[in-house]
Amino acid sequence: MPDDYDQFVTDRLDRLLRYATALTCDKYLAQDIVQDVLLRARTKWGRIGAVEVPYLYVKRMVTNEYLSWRRRRAARDISATHVSLDELAPAVADPAVGHAERDAMRVRIAVLPRKQRAALVLRYYEDSTDAEIARILGCTEGTVRSHISRALHTLRVNENTPSEVLR
Amino acid sequence: MTDTRQESLIREAIAAEAEQAVDHRTVLANLHGKRSRRRPFALFAAAGLTAAATAVAVIVPLSVDRTAAPASVDPAAPPTAATTRTVLLIGLDGAANTDSVVLARVGADGAVSAASLPRDSLVDIPGFGQGKLNSAYARAHAAAQAEGRDGAAAGVEALKRTVEALTGVAVDHYAALEMAAFSTLADAVGGVEVCLKRPARDPFSGVDLPAGSQSLTGAQALAFIRQRHGLANGELDRIVRQHVFLRALATKVVQGDPAKLPELARVAATHLRVDPGWDLAEFAARITPTVRTAIIPLGGEVTTPDHGHALSVDPAAVRAFMAEFFAEGATGTPTGGHSVPPPAAETHKPGRQPSAGDCVD
Repeated sequence: MPDDYDQFVTDRLDRLLRYATALTCDKYLAQDIVQDVLLRARTKWGRIGAVEVPYLYVKRMVTNEYLSWRRRRAARDISATHVSLDELAPAVADPAVGHAERDAMRVRIAVLPRKQRAALVLRYYEDSTDAEIARILGCTEGTVRSHISRALHTLRVNENTPSEVLR
Repeated sequence: MTDTRQESLIREAIAAEAEQAVDHRTVLANLHGKRSRRRPFALFAAAGLTAAATAVAVIVPLSVDRTAAPASVDPAAPPTAATTRTVLLIGLDGAANTDSVVLARVGADGAVSAASLPRDSLVDIPGFGQGKLNSAYARAHAAAQAEGRDGAAAGVEALKRTVEALTGVAVDHYAALEMAAFSTLADAVGGVEVCLKRPARDPFSGVDLPAGSQSLTGAQALAFIRQRHGLANGELDRIVRQHVFLRALATKVVQGDPAKLPELARVAATHLRVDPGWDLAEFAARITPTVRTAIIPLGGEVTTPDHGHALSVDPAAVRAFMAEFFAEGATGTPTGGHSVPPPAAETHKPGRQPSAGDCVD
């Protein structure tokens, strides 16, 4: 059983960290959440290891952790992320248009409501289906589609808005 | 399905965000027990390296200067105006985590009945809604600190109200203990005797002990009561260990050299916070090493979207159990309390709790 767990961590840790970082927009918060979740998963591994796709289960734990009790701290840290992004922007030596656009999008995504961002990350980073997203977020597929469509709408509306609005 | 331009941009942006992730090797090292540089206490807390509040029942009387009271209580002497008191014992891990919560009743005769309330129990937290028991203190602590009030006092108050609502027992006093006391204390009494059924090794708590009877001191005493990972019943096995440790420690203190008491008192007092209205001297003079322990009745494990894994509890069952467990003159353990399942080969009666001499997992 511990071997199984160790194998899971070896295989999935990097992926989980990236997912959590995309979700939280804060690599340190992501690290804390993933560490915390994996330590908890270890004690329950007898059960988690037996489910069909343990990765999905653990991913759901990570998502819940982020969506629930860390929420206040997460909100605070996103604003910090903004500052660092704004500080970083002028330092880019080669202002490739693609990167500028992409980084602007990062900032816009970072201020989306948590559930909308989670749905977005699951669809566009994890390539999850609506049904999978619904399971992970604990809502209906209709709600998933609504989260995503609202997120896309917000991102579109803001596309032409100068970033001062976001500061 | 081809992405729109917007969707491509979103993909790139999210991928760029994900690229910021910390190096997984750092995290792997942390998971294997090394300390995180950024938050040295994060792992300490996350690994569940918890305080053993059960032992507060021993620490509290220790922290009192006993020059006026003999170490051994004369059972023939009638207690003067002694009344039954309930005490909420809280084990703190250095942050605002109450990883051990014990409700104890000290009878007029000095006998102690202590019921453990597992920290993952899903309960109503007055003023905050439903949550795990160990979040009551933390939430109130954080809320109070945000307003510039005393976090510890607010935390204790919230936990007290939560426990009272759950158990139906009014709490007279509280004692909150920092777990750092235990390695020092085990040293001070010259070791605490325990017996392990099998060797214990676990990188999270740092425990590394052989099977069989042994005397624990220092860091290994602490690790013994902290270990949760690698035990078949996790948190619940740990509670059993804490009970066993408490009894062994109590025995050692009572039978030990009275000359050592001042040192023990000093160790205990530095790690303990109690409510101001509590006459500790009276309490200490009367307490006896007779300790009954139990775990409240528990439902199954539940997974909730908001609280992750938790243990369901039926407040009505808890109240009924506590009423019986704390009844005047009660002996043994009433039925309904949670018992840690014994190995299949052994035929323990349900509800039986291991005693000091028993070997534990």
